[in-house]
Amino acid sequence: MGQGKSQFTEDELQDYEDLTYFTKKEVLYAHQKFKALAPEKVGHNKNAKLPMAKILQYPELRVNPFRDRICKVFSSSNDGDCTFEDFLDMMSVFSESAPKGVKAEHAFRIFDFDGDDMIGVSDLREVIERLCGAELKLSDSEIQQLVQNVLEEADLDDDGALSFAEFEHIIDKSSDFCHSFRIRL
Amino acid sequence: MSGGNSKNKSRSKRHEGWEEAGGEFYQELYPGGEQELFDNLQRADAAKLATLLPSKQARNKNLSNEERTWEEIMQIKAMPNATKLRLQGFEQLQWRQRKIWHRFRSRCGEIMGKLELWQSSLREIEGKFGTGVVAYFLFLRWLFFLNMAISSFVILFLILPKVLLVENLEECIDENSTICCSEAYFTRNWTRNNVILDLIQGTGLMERTILFYGVYSAQIYSFFINSWETELFYNMPMAYILVPISWALLSLVAIVKTGAKGFKERLVENEGQFYVYCNLVFGGWDFCIHNEKSAKIKHKAIYNEFKGLLEEERIKEEKQLRTKESNILMHLRRLLVNILVLVILLLSGVLIYFAFNHSMYWLDEQMAQENEFVNRTEGKVFLGDYRESAFSIGRFQNTLLEFLPFLCIVVLNIIVPEIFGFLIKYENYTPARVIVITLLRTVLLRLSAFAVLLSQIYIQVTNPNRVFCAVFTDESRLDCWETYVGQQLYKLILTDFALQFFMTFIINFPRSLVARHSNSTCLKVIGTQGFYLPKHVLDIVYVQTIIWMGAFFCPFLPIIGTIFTFLIFYVKKFACLVNSTPSPIVYKASKSKSLFMSVLLLGFIISIAPVAYSVAEIMPSVNCGPFRGFNTVWEYVVVTFESFPKFIREVIFLLGTSTFAVPAFAVLLFLLYYYCAVAAANRHMVTVLKNQLVLEGHDKQFLLNRLSAFIRQHQKRCDRRNRASFADDDSIQNSSR
Repeated sequence: MGQGKSQFTEDELQDYEDLTYFTKKEVLYAHQKFKALAPEKVGHNKNAKLPMAKILQYPELRVNPFRDRICKVFSSSNDGDCTFEDFLDMMSVFSESAPKGVKAEHAFRIFDFDGDDMIGVSDLREVIERLCGAELKLSDSEIQQLVQNVLEEADLDDDGALSFAEFEHIIDKSSDFCHSFRIRL
Repeated sequence: MSGGNSKNKSRSKRHEGWEEAGGEFYQELYPGGEQELFDNLQRADAAKLATLLPSKQARNKNLSNEERTWEEIMQIKAMPNATKLRLQGFEQLQWRQRKIWHRFRSRCGEIMGKLELWQSSLREIEGKFGTGVVAYFLFLRWLFFLNMAISSFVILFLILPKVLLVENLEECIDENSTICCSEAYFTRNWTRNNVILDLIQGTGLMERTILFYGVYSAQIYSFFINSWETELFYNMPMAYILVPISWALLSLVAIVKTGAKGFKERLVENEGQFYVYCNLVFGGWDFCIHNEKSAKIKHKAIYNEFKGLLEEERIKEEKQLRTKESNILMHLRRLLVNILVLVILLLSGVLIYFAFNHSMYWLDEQMAQENEFVNRTEGKVFLGDYRESAFSIGRFQNTLLEFLPFLCIVVLNIIVPEIFGFLIKYENYTPARVIVITLLRTVLLRLSAFAVLLSQIYIQVTNPNRVFCAVFTDESRLDCWETYVGQQLYKLILTDFALQFFMTFIINFPRSLVARHSNSTCLKVIGTQGFYLPKHVLDIVYVQTIIWMGAFFCPFLPIIGTIFTFLIFYVKKFACLVNSTPSPIVYKASKSKSLFMSVLLLGFIISIAPVAYSVAEIMPSVNCGPFRGFNTVWEYVVVTFESFPKFIREVIFLLGTSTFAVPAFAVLLFLLYYYCAVAAANRHMVTVLKNQLVLEGHDKQFLLNRLSAFIRQHQKRCDRRNRASFADDDSIQNSSR
């Protein structure tokens, strides 16, 4: 790329550009960020697998209430450890140019804590608890009420859980979602 | 080999099994199209059948697609002539161009975002107080831009021409002519006061500056351009009437447009199903947040919002549970509070009335004394010395008297809303309702103050005994009454701003310090203050109302207003971030936006109405201003209209007659009816579709239950059959042995 010190070949960059919502320059920038998390390891192997704890050093992820879920969803080995490609995938989904559908799908997986392909009552509870943070606690009945309200709004088929179609329907109607579900590289 | 055999066998057997088991069930449920599904079911085994469930389907398909696509891409890449498959030549160029254009646009958006005024402040406020309060600050910024637009109109078309163009001097010949009157007015020695006092009162030195209506010329400026050899004209009075009309239209359009946008948003939110909770739960977290502090604040904001939503729900429920007696009791209480509010409003009106009359009376007295003295000594030369010596003590008193009504108004504006806020606690309204009602009451208070003030001025101005021409009178406040009105509003806006400044920094700031650094509960109660939105909204709407009302009489007012709104942003930011603790009430952004706009619209109508009346009905001053010598300001427009070419006159005249108006009215009515009908039809359609959606949901659920039962049944059958076939196999093997 004319910089001389790039760890990537032109072909690899082209692949990354085709597969993500980034340009080559942004891919390189993402790699810099990735490298900053663990300079030694990534210096040796550009696609090194970093443990989840290292990935969570990334500022936006550090304070995110769903940080562990995000890592798990994007990790190719499903245990939260991410290679550079996983990281790039994550950033690409969170980037501004990613379409709503892609964002919605990943959001669905992030919010689906127990992995049963439905956002059920327990998932909703977990989401609400995490949103309020560690210090502020809503009472049990309040959370119950909130979960019930969410289901009342969105659960079109009354099965007590949100399927992906229902979730997508909500996201379609929500104008804020695309603004908030975004991490600037 | 035997395994393969048994598989085949089992499949064929399964085939038969399906035939008998599922056939009739599906036959009766699905008269047509079942064959396809049936085939699918036959081919698939139980594990795969589960993927037919809709919830699983969407995702799994997507994932496998992704994988397959990736594999395909890799295969294509591995092909020897892979490079040829990329877009070639012109197409590639086009594609690149599209990409570059896209990137350019997003880059532009980013830069614009950085240029946007107060962006970081807004983020900070959003982090601490939530979107509702940010909506308020956005509103403030919007008003700032509106004022800037109005100011640019005024500067371009009134102030610059006035400063740059040279007036022709005209000789005073006839004593009764407007020229002599204005000469007498302008050559009169002004009351010599302290410069600072003049500055804040708009009197003396300031009265004859471009700040006020008085100095704007009644002439049509003309200047000769040598290089073009033509003469250009600038019709100052025309400009003076057109500029207010254009900014009034601009404001109206801006308000209506922004308000309509907010209204539409609200409508969508209300009409479509409520997604308040879902929005908050799934879109609540801002993934951009990257430091601990703002994350903590965000947690708190979301927590508050949850609480607010639940609170609203609770009040709704309470309302339904209320018994008849308590209902009546509550209505009685509300009635009582309303009467009390009315009494307070009346009292404050009376108070302002007396304050104004009192100050006028004393000022008149003083002026009469001075004039008497001047007449006796017959020496205007000594005027200055005389005032310097004798009235230096009285001057301060004078200023106080001048400001008395305004101080009264502003102090009432601060105290009475507090009382209202206290009273409304006894009325049990929902939080949203509380905001609206407090706003309405406070608006009424502020307007009653305006009404009293304006009616007093009106009575003075239209006094039939008043001598109009300055040649024949002593100095009076109403020599140029438009300037006088301008001065009053100028004083009002200054007082208002000063008090806001004072309240925020001198009173509320120490209060918040006390609250933060002391442990006693009593002091904490005194010191803690929420950011109470309705009050702050009114503060700025009030300033805006003064600007609209005064801009005709004091063209500088929009410029002053622009500066003030700019400063008020910081004052309010300070009040919000430093003085206040996040309030337990959560204000919702979309709702408050349309609320602000409706309050502003009310303010606009109420401020423009008196100005329009004065333009159309009251005789402008003879001594000063662009319309000296006309009966009304509007008369000037009519006279100018008369000088237009006949054709244009005819056309415009036609627009005013019934031949045009009646058909136009009919067409408008027709359109209105059409849109109403469409809206009604759409609304009906929405309910029908909603019902249908619910029905579909139930249908789906029923089918899913059937399907899963079916799968279970099928699985059992298979197991049985398998077991049986294994047994068969075994028996065959056994027999063969």
